[in-house]
Order: sequence, then structure tokens, then C-alpha cells
Amino acid sequence: MKNKTLLFIACLSIALLFSACGGTDSGDAKQIKAVFADAGWDSIRFHNAVASYIGGAAYNIAGEDIPGTTPITYNGLISGDVDVYMEVWVDNLPTYYDDVRAGKFRELGVNFDDNKQGLYVPRYVIEGDPERGIEPMAPDLRTVEDLKKYSHVFKDPDDNAKGRIYGAISGWEIDNVMRNKYKFYGLDENYNYFDPGSEAASVAAISAAYNKGEPIVAYHWDPTWLTGKLDLVLLEDAPYDPELYPLGQTECPSMNITICVSNEFYEKAPDFVEFLRKYRTSSALTAEALAYIEDNNASMEEAAKWFLKEHDELIDQWLPEDKAELVRNKLSQ
Amino acid sequence: MPDWLIDFPSGIKLNISDPIDRFIDYLITEWDAFFSSITNGLRVFLNSIGYVVERIPWWLLITIIFVLTWRMSKKIGRAILYSLLVFSIGAMGLWDLMNTTLAIIIASVIISIIIGFPTGVLVSSSDRLDSIVRPILDTMQTMPSFVYLIPAAMLLGLGNVPAVLATTIYAVPPLIRLTSHGIRQVDREVIEAATAFGSTKWQSLIKVKIPQAMPTIMTGVNQTIMMAISMVVTGSMIGVTGLGQEVLISINRLQAGRGFTAGIAIVIMAIVMDRLTQGIIKKGEAFIDE
Repeated sequence: MKNKTLLFIACLSIALLFSACGGTDSGDAKQIKAVFADAGWDSIRFHNAVASYIGGAAYNIAGEDIPGTTPITYNGLISGDVDVYMEVWVDNLPTYYDDVRAGKFRELGVNFDDNKQGLYVPRYVIEGDPERGIEPMAPDLRTVEDLKKYSHVFKDPDDNAKGRIYGAISGWEIDNVMRNKYKFYGLDENYNYFDPGSEAASVAAISAAYNKGEPIVAYHWDPTWLTGKLDLVLLEDAPYDPELYPLGQTECPSMNITICVSNEFYEKAPDFVEFLRKYRTSSALTAEALAYIEDNNASMEEAAKWFLKEHDELIDQWLPEDKAELVRNKLSQ
Repeated sequence: MPDWLIDFPSGIKLNISDPIDRFIDYLITEWDAFFSSITNGLRVFLNSIGYVVERIPWWLLITIIFVLTWRMSKKIGRAILYSLLVFSIGAMGLWDLMNTTLAIIIASVIISIIIGFPTGVLVSSSDRLDSIVRPILDTMQTMPSFVYLIPAAMLLGLGNVPAVLATTIYAVPPLIRLTSHGIRQVDREVIEAATAFGSTKWQSLIKVKIPQAMPTIMTGVNQTIMMAISMVVTGSMIGVTGLGQEVLISINRLQAGRGFTAGIAIVIMAIVMDRLTQGIIKKGEAFIDE
């Protein structure tokens, strides 16, 4: 009995040894490891997957994601634990411009800058949805200011006298702006500003209300799979003005979403950095990919492949000819 | 060696996530009225506790803690220390946040006791029931809380009310376990003696078993309180207010000092509540020994 056990263990270790050997003979040329920041939302994961895929196909880069919150991954970028940050939401980071000036990391360029954020309501709240048997609940709701008339529609379950506005996520810069906006339009008189606590909870609240056909007004931003999938309307606001915006008196500007790399990585992989410099997408492109993921239950890597095949022209914009060739070869495999 | 011996065979697929998604969607759309009524009931309960807690003046709460600790431990030094610790929460400017958190903890613990204690008694009476309930409790305790926190938020909305429910799920298992365990551990001879004196099953349960098991049951209550406190921080992810939210905000802003301040306040709450319930347990034990 004991011998049999020993024999079994011996066999198992030999098998393990073989499989381990099988793993090591790839990667003859030295691969460069690149740690991508996964700050917790889908679009950054998607961009990570695209850059990682191209890095693997053309630049001998072995990409891996490191998860964390925005401040943690951002600090990682400064300390060098994070090599590549595909989506830095500049205005959400109070120290960003100082850090760039101080040379704590390298800003390579803009990933996309046509995003939106603000207060959203489902379209059926304004227009109704005959298909689902929903009557318009707030037919004249166009602007943030109009909300004042409709506090009885967006009732706060914890406080029957007032309405509830699902605010931005506590701790984000935009949260301060939204709180100012809430006061500026006098919404504090008949609304409570509700802190959802986390992105996941905010999304849960919006999609649950949407499924039930209930009214909800909530802070959100585009591009996300939620804005791609649900029919949400952004409430209008006064035109953007840099002075008045922080006081909450105007609409949110489109934010610069930049790509940054750590100083160390900047030196280590100049070719790949050159590619990241040219990397540029848009809100629409990103939302398209995120909706593909949501609809097909696709992995990020599958989505990256699908995206690069679908938008073949981007490969030429981003990459020199020889590298583009490599990526196309890998894609057609 | 064939591939399927090295890598897990890719042909074998088990998909339980789609049915679960459909089930949750079904609950959200079809059972809305049911969950709304649960939420409303819980809300009334939580608000009334909050109402009471908020109206206890700060000096009264500190005095209560002082007297309780003193009577429990007979040590005046300890009583002063705990009062000072609670006082320092107020001095750090966190008194109101502590009250909110306290209300959530008290509500969850009361609901946990209402559910957990009878269940524990029931489970102690049957081995078969025990073998059914045990894996369920294991699941409740080990399932990462975020997994059911988000569906709970979809069913019950965001805020303090669903958090009470999520906290209960997380905090009730030790109470059920220890109640059942405590009752099972009561000396057979004691029960036989009770039966010999003509006690019915019900009488021996109420008058003998449960009092004898009280220290173990109180340990369960103590565990439940501790788990409820730890859940308060996680709950802030679905919009729970109070100290947990303070911790979350400071993490999001990378303000270590502010985070530690709120964290220390939570630690103080936990220590004081732990020692007070431990004191009750010790008193109970002394009572039984007599």
C-alpha cells in the first residue's frame, strides 16, 4: 500500500516536471514584462488587453494586469510598480499636473477625450416606453435645473418628503463638483444627494431601476457598458466654462484621458512606448467594444482581437509597417 | 502526454453564472413588491433604533459604559480607560458617524439574534438538520461578501437598509453554530436529573439546557457583534453611511491619516463592545458555577 502511494507520488512529480519543462522553452529572446494598471473599470481593462495583445505580437512584451483602485494604481505608476496606465482620468487626480511637471512619470498622449459625464436619467422617464407600458413620468425634463419640478418622481425611499439623486462616487474629484451643482441649482431643498459608495453599487442601482422601469436620476459617465447598453439621457446644463465648472454651474467638460508610463519603463521599452504615444481611440470606439463584451460574454483578450480585426485601419495608424505586419499575422492565426 | 492530462480539458464546461443572472433578474422584476415590503419594514426598524441612539446624550453613553465596565470587571481603572476611549471618538469628531454605525450594528445584531437563536435551538435538536444547516452556514461565512452585496443592492436598493440584511447574512452563522453547540454540550446527567424530576422536554429546554448553554450562546452573540462591526466597512461600498463610509472616502482620496482616525474609532467600538459582552459571559459562567 505504502509502495503504491510512493509510486503514485513519483509518477506525479515526473509528470509535473515534464509539464514544467514544456513551459520554459518558449520565449528564447528576452521578453520585457509590462505591468498594466487595472484601476477597476471595464474600459481600462479593454485598452490594457489591446495594448497587451499588440505588445505580445510585435514588441515581445509580456503584459500583465495589476488590479487596484485609482489612487493605489496611480501611486504604483509613480513608484514604478505599474509600468503602463492606459486611462488616467486626469481631472479625477488632484495632483496629476504637479506630478507630470515633477517628472514622476511620463505622459505619452491622449487615449480619448470625447467622453461625457453628468446626471443621467433613463429615456423612458422623459418619453415613456409604450412597449413596456411605461408612461412618461417627467415629460418636460431637459436640464439639471428642471429636476426641481420633479422631486416627487425621484422619491427617496429613506425620506418620503424629498427626492434622491444618486451622486458620484465618494472621493472622486467629480463628487465635489456634483455636490456644488446640487447646491447651486437649489436641488438641496427637495432632494437628498445620495453617496452610492462604489461604482459597482452605482451601476447596480441604475440597472435595477432600469429593469423595473422605475425612475432614477444618477451621476454616470460615458463610455461604459452601461451607457452602451441602456438608453440613458444626459441632462443638459449650462455650456462649459473653466471658471464656473468647479462650482458646479456648468456641464462637465470632456476629460482628457491620457496614457502614461513609469519612468523606468520609458527607458526600458522605447519601441513599445513609441506605439503607445500613437495609441488613440474614442469614446464611441471604446463603448462599442464594451457593448461587444457585454453582449457576447467575451473575455478582454477576445474583445481586443475582435476590435483589431473590426478596426483594421487603427493598426496602420498606430504601428510602423513591419510591426503592423506582425500584428496582422498573429490576428489571422 | 496528451493535452487533456496537462491542461484541464476545455471540452468540459459548467455554466452556472447564466442561470444565476436570470434568477436575479427574475427576482428583481417579479418579486419587487415583496422585497420592497421587506425593505420598508427593515427601514422602520433601523430608523427607530437610529432615533433612540441619536438621542442618547454623549455623557449618558459614556456614563453607561463606565458603570457597566465597572460593575462587570470591578476594576475602576478599566472603566475609566473605556470611557476615555469612547470619549476620544467624540474628540476626533466622529461621534455622529459612530451613532449611525452603532444603529446599524445594533439592528443587525438584534435581527441576527431573532433569526439565529431559534434556529440554533432547532438545529441542536436534530442531527439531520445539523448536517443540512452546517454547509449552508459554511457558505454564508466564506462567500466573499461583495458577491451578495451587489445583488442585495439591486433587490433592496442602496444604503443602510440592505446593509443590515447583508450584515445579518454574514454575522448570523456563529450565533447559530454556538447556540446549537452550547445546548448539545450541556451535561447529560443534568438533563437526566431534570427529566427525573418530571420536566417535560420543553421545560428542560427552557429551564435547564438554555441557561446552562448561556455562556456559549453569549460567545456566539459576541462573535456576531464582532462580525457585524467588520462588515460595516465593507457595507460602505453600497452606500452605508457612518464610520465605514469615512474609511472608504479616505481610501479613495489616499488620506491615510483620516482613514486611520476612522479605523481607530471602529477598533475602539469593537474593543468596548467585545469586553462588555465578554463581561456578561463571565458573569453568566460565575452564575452557573454557583
